[in-house]
Amino acid sequence: MKIDQYNFPDDLWYDREHNWARIEGNQATIGMTDFGQSLAGEIVYAEVPRVGRELKQGEPFMSLESGKWVGRIKAIVSGKIIEANEEIEWEAAVINQDPYGRGWLAKVELAGQPTGLMKASDPEFAEFIAAERAKYGK
Amino acid sequence: MKLYYLDSVSWADSQLLYHALPRLGREGLILLSPASPYVCIGYFQDVEQEVDLEVCRQQGIPVFRREVGGGAVYLDGQQLFYQLILHRSNPLVPAGWEALYRRFLQAPVDAYRALGIPAMYRPVNDIIANGRKISGNGAAEINDHYVVVGNLIADFDYEMMVRVLKVPDEKFRDKVHKTLQENLSTIRRELGHVPPRQQLWELLTEKFSQILGPLEVETTVDPVWRAEVDSLARTMLTDEWLFGMSRERKGDKRKVTIRSGVQVSHKAYKAPGGLIRAIVETREGTITSVSFSGDFFFYPAHRLADLEEALVETPLDKAEEVISRFYTEHGIESPGVTPSDLTRVLQ
Repeated sequence: MKIDQYNFPDDLWYDREHNWARIEGNQATIGMTDFGQSLAGEIVYAEVPRVGRELKQGEPFMSLESGKWVGRIKAIVSGKIIEANEEIEWEAAVINQDPYGRGWLAKVELAGQPTGLMKASDPEFAEFIAAERAKYGK
Repeated sequence: MKLYYLDSVSWADSQLLYHALPRLGREGLILLSPASPYVCIGYFQDVEQEVDLEVCRQQGIPVFRREVGGGAVYLDGQQLFYQLILHRSNPLVPAGWEALYRRFLQAPVDAYRALGIPAMYRPVNDIIANGRKISGNGAAEINDHYVVVGNLIADFDYEMMVRVLKVPDEKFRDKVHKTLQENLSTIRRELGHVPPRQQLWELLTEKFSQILGPLEVETTVDPVWRAEVDSLARTMLTDEWLFGMSRERKGDKRKVTIRSGVQVSHKAYKAPGGLIRAIVETREGTITSVSFSGDFFFYPAHRLADLEEALVETPLDKAEEVISRFYTEHGIESPGVTPSDLTRVLQ
């Protein structure tokens, strides 16, 4: 679904750090949302996370450089990285251009079910995005 | 909020202290200056691409990779650093990076103005005076804290800055030197002299306290902080850390062979005027398509597509010639980006 100009696919789960997860069985593909990439601005570098790394939901696992700052991306799920998107190392702009497609960040083997995630259709999610838009003037 | 007024510290402490404080979950404003010169590269930079390590070795100049973005810089005791660490939930933190810079860079802007230098903030992270940059600033997010670092530049060793940078040839080095002289100013250049150091620290303190509120001054590094600095040093002062990004970024990932003789390459290069990216398809060494992007300026802008068109069917080794001719024929202006820079991302 769209919330104003921002796209939030219905089949994904979202957190409050502007990340998404496509959960299939005990695996998840994770990335940054359309709104998140818009907040970040033009992403010039991204650090490809190491395969095998253990993620803990809510804790940073990779960095990116955008404009004039270096930011951290927090894990939306807990588990072990089984595949990382190496394309973002040399073409980080795909995170801006196609955040739910070519701009995915990692595939994770889940360690338990993540908590506190929302669907795009949840009223709580719409309220969250509205508040974020007001906060950042987006 | 605490003001850690440390004045002159070792070059390593001038970086490690602000990396350590947010890791301890602590906020603060740090004012310090390095006792000896060093080169500092951005978190994502490849040190071997950016820094002439041989010159640094000969001169005894250490090199450090910070967790803050941006480019390679030469830092020394003529620069007075401010390093602000605030938790992301601190009500003083505005939403968005530009707003963050705008709010907190007001302090050095006001300090410069108090000295009689007509400084002003220029988005995203610059302070300029009389059209020249007069302060370098960067930001990062470390352990749920926002870190904004920057400097007042009392004086600057242009010569050494240019010497420590890795450049393709001496002509380019001259160009960088000239561009630096033209675009980077200092307190000495603006005023004709450097006021007493103590006065500069006091001005920074006064101007930051107008934004942050009352500041409780500490002049030493407490044992807990020192222990965290020591612990960080064991990682961040190693070759593994300095060259780590280089190793990850090495390899031939930027070039994909579609079939024998046909390749698509993606390359990015940070020229003085900005980041240039190119996606190039070649067949037997001749360009079949090219697309430039990035954050550099190119006037007139609509001619960029024409340049891409002009490069089709050009052998890679003739690309610079074609680009240079195109620049001349169409009166192209791209500050800080030369035909040679554009060629560099093609090859």
